[in-house]
Amino acid sequence: MALRIAVVGVFAVTIFCVLFFRLWALQVISGQRYLDEARNNQVRTFRAPAQRGSIIDRNGKVLVSNVPSTVAQLWPAALNDLSADERTQTLRRVGRLLDVPYRQIEKELKARKNDLLTPVTIKTDVPNAKVNYLLEHQNDFPGVQVSQASLRHYDDGAIASQLLGYLSEISPQQVEARAKDGYAPGDRIGQSGVEGAYDTYLRGQPGIGRVYVDALGRVKSAREYEQLPEAGDNVRLTIDADLQRTAEEALDYGIRIAHEDGRWAADGGALVAMDPNTGEILALASNPSFDPRIYTGRVQQKNLNQLAKSSANHPTLDRAVAGVYPPGSTFKPVTALAALESGLVAPDELIQCTGKEVVDGQVFKNWDPYANEPMTMTTALAASCDTYFYQLGLRFYERKDSPLQSWARDMGFGAKTGVDVGPEERGLVPTPSWRRRYFKTEIDKIWTSGDSVQLAIGQGDVLVTPLQMARLYGMIATGGKLVEPHVVKSVEEPGNEGQAPVVLRPYAPKPPKDVQLDQSAVRVVQEGLYQATHESYGTSSGIFGSFPIEIAGKTGTAEKYVRLPGYSGLQDQAWWCGYGPYASPKLVVCALIENGGHGGIAAAPAALRVFEKYFKVDPDSYSASVKNSD
Amino acid sequence: MATRALPQATTRSVLGTEVGAFLRHVDYLLLLAVGGVIAYGLWVLNAVTRHDIPGDPGYYLFRQEIYVAVGAVALAVMAVIDPELLRRYKRALYGLMIFLLLIVFPLADRVRGSKRWITVGSFNFQPSEIGKVLLILFLAGFIADRARRVGEWRTMWAVVGLAAVPIVLVFQEPDFGSAMLYGSAAVAVLFFAGAPWKQLAALVATVAVVAVGIFWFLPSAGVDVLDQYQKDRLVGFLHPDVDPGGSTYNVNQSITAVGSGGYDGRGVAGATQTNLDFLPEHNTDFIFSSLAEQRGFLGAATLLLLYGLIAWRGIKIIAVAPSLFTAAAAGAIVFTFLVQIFVNVGMTIGIAPVTGIPLPFVSFGGSSMITTLAMVGLLEAIHIRGRLAAQK
Repeated sequence: MALRIAVVGVFAVTIFCVLFFRLWALQVISGQRYLDEARNNQVRTFRAPAQRGSIIDRNGKVLVSNVPSTVAQLWPAALNDLSADERTQTLRRVGRLLDVPYRQIEKELKARKNDLLTPVTIKTDVPNAKVNYLLEHQNDFPGVQVSQASLRHYDDGAIASQLLGYLSEISPQQVEARAKDGYAPGDRIGQSGVEGAYDTYLRGQPGIGRVYVDALGRVKSAREYEQLPEAGDNVRLTIDADLQRTAEEALDYGIRIAHEDGRWAADGGALVAMDPNTGEILALASNPSFDPRIYTGRVQQKNLNQLAKSSANHPTLDRAVAGVYPPGSTFKPVTALAALESGLVAPDELIQCTGKEVVDGQVFKNWDPYANEPMTMTTALAASCDTYFYQLGLRFYERKDSPLQSWARDMGFGAKTGVDVGPEERGLVPTPSWRRRYFKTEIDKIWTSGDSVQLAIGQGDVLVTPLQMARLYGMIATGGKLVEPHVVKSVEEPGNEGQAPVVLRPYAPKPPKDVQLDQSAVRVVQEGLYQATHESYGTSSGIFGSFPIEIAGKTGTAEKYVRLPGYSGLQDQAWWCGYGPYASPKLVVCALIENGGHGGIAAAPAALRVFEKYFKVDPDSYSASVKNSD
Repeated sequence: MATRALPQATTRSVLGTEVGAFLRHVDYLLLLAVGGVIAYGLWVLNAVTRHDIPGDPGYYLFRQEIYVAVGAVALAVMAVIDPELLRRYKRALYGLMIFLLLIVFPLADRVRGSKRWITVGSFNFQPSEIGKVLLILFLAGFIADRARRVGEWRTMWAVVGLAAVPIVLVFQEPDFGSAMLYGSAAVAVLFFAGAPWKQLAALVATVAVVAVGIFWFLPSAGVDVLDQYQKDRLVGFLHPDVDPGGSTYNVNQSITAVGSGGYDGRGVAGATQTNLDFLPEHNTDFIFSSLAEQRGFLGAATLLLLYGLIAWRGIKIIAVAPSLFTAAAAGAIVFTFLVQIFVNVGMTIGIAPVTGIPLPFVSFGGSSMITTLAMVGLLEAIHIRGRLAAQK
């Protein structure tokens, strides 16, 4: 018995020793560390998003601003302290109150389960009565918090949606990539367009501070700011809101007349209006569009699904900078300039324009099958004679150094224009070496005479964006200056009451690139474009011929293989690009109607509307007529 | 007839002329140590709970004081009653224990997933606490009746089998902590009744096999004896950083509270872990963490020293116990007391699993306070009888 009592005595001594040593280790040796931990426990760092800057048009008209909104948020850390039952009940209760399905709340909490300290917004625009109910019954809603947020407001309605872009909550990948710029989970970040490209200016500096909370996340102290929020700067665009609206309406109009012309597949388009001297973009429209308000506040998945449906035809795609199309006849000025510069043709050399051309056994048709007369380059451009340019294509084919392609690249094709909003597509300038790389079979790898003939009239594999085309016509207008297109004029701070705004950073485009064109060659092309809109044989003279401001420009009808729901085949893309006034160009416009048929029918009238608006010409003061042509 | 005469004689010896001798042989040091722990515990409870019920800082303290008063009466009664009398009624005690543990299932409300408490008036009564002392008395009496056959295997297995019934019942509530204490009591009774070492070794081996079965074989065979939360808690203390937001949240908050107390504590107002509710159950199971946070190492060590004093007196009482029955009972009381302190304090500092058993004399709760004081009374009764027997 004595032994057993001794055993229990040793047992007692042992456990007390173990407890003493462990306590000593925790409290005396590591005490400071745990004290820090305990202090951090009750302190929660919060980020107060700064008022986001507004986006205004070139005349100061507000396009995007902010409106305050009351939001309901959940603290995941506080919810984790509840038992499973209490947690479910709380979430169901708050879901019922705010009309948010319980399952959706769970899904969003799950998506953020690795980040317990950032509140999850479950509802924006909470009505006042419900806010009061939440505040009065705080004990029934542990971990639920009501706070103020500001939402994007589109003062001028839904215009330039793709260009302006939208905001959404930052993704974990974006946080990782941009953490050093001060982005943190829960931030809203511009995801595309101006909101995305100029996010660092618009967002300002979020306020950072500390607040004391209890274990349920209930705030127990006033907010102490370590850094006050600093409102974001305004971004002034080069866009003219009125012209932008006109451009968007013009696209609708172009699509409508294409439909009337029997072009049932016409379903989209793009229009660029730009100052050819500076590269300032005055309107950048893309159709179809969407209502940017679906991205404000809590984004509803069903709205996003609506946008993603194939029948919606990609409304978020900015076709002006990211849509690629064959340019068709609007590309002929490139061929003309390259041929003149390369000495392959003289301006007054007469080449027979015929109904068709047979090249190495393959038949290439002219759009006008009855044509049969000799033409100079000017006339060929104005009448858009395909066979004339087939001849030039054959001459290029003889040259092994691909001068047409290198001139096309010099004029900005196959590369990004550098416009400040994206994502931008580069398009494609096909070359013999590209063919060898791109195609698999030996027969396809060969660059044939047919490829050169096709390229000469902007068909085949060549792909361009409407913005690249606008820049080309701007270059022709200015005699060879390739500008850097841009949509932002400056980043600025609103001035004090009644004062002018303070420009913080003017947009500094790279000086226009001089393409080093022979001025006499440029003049030949300019003359061709002028005749195209004024002479009886010009392809859009019916539309621009009597316009009081002298406009020069070119139609295009480009065949493209398209896949539509329930249909696939060749469809004509309608183009018109041009500028005015002819003598001292101020505006270049390039319009594209997808599957719109003849450029002169669908695209030219759309472009005309923009000129009317820009030059303040009353449509009833002159007569325009649509002409069926290439 | 003799069996009836005995209790009367005992009663007379206490209430009659031998009151003086009785009082002389009370272990006053034990009473002093227990009184010290209780006073210390009330002081701690007052400091820990004053922010818990808004507008009523004395809510818990007042109730605990009533429990202490009731417990003191229980202590006195148990000290006066001759333990041999209790031994005589051991079967009734066993039956009472089983009855109390059974009525939990239909009567108790589920609190945090467990059915442990029966509400009687405004008092929450926890049968598994009372069951502890009843089981000890029964097992000690059972084995003392078989004193000559203690070395036999069937005696040991009989004890194990009889202990297994209440263990399984509390396990079902589920109350893993009490099941563990019941098991400790059974082992201690066998140990102090003189069960051979090899039998004890076999018992420990069996317990190990059962534990492995519960944790490993049965779950893989599709039978889950433990709920997931219990498993997580039991093994969570081995890997506290695996899931800081989940099953080990309580332990991590508790360790932070204890550690932040430092050498001399953060004081009542400065104890943010307690006051801001980061520390769960800080008036019951995790009260030690609050004590350690508010009073630091000095405060925590003081309590442990007082416990050490009680343990020391308890062990001495095992030695003076006048009979096998009383020795086994005293041994089981002391042993379960030690286990309970180790598991409760160990759980708050991350070296024992989280099982939810109260800290004796300090955690808020009537059943625990009254039962533990009754067990002290039993120890005193054994001490007094032992001393009296030694005198004769």
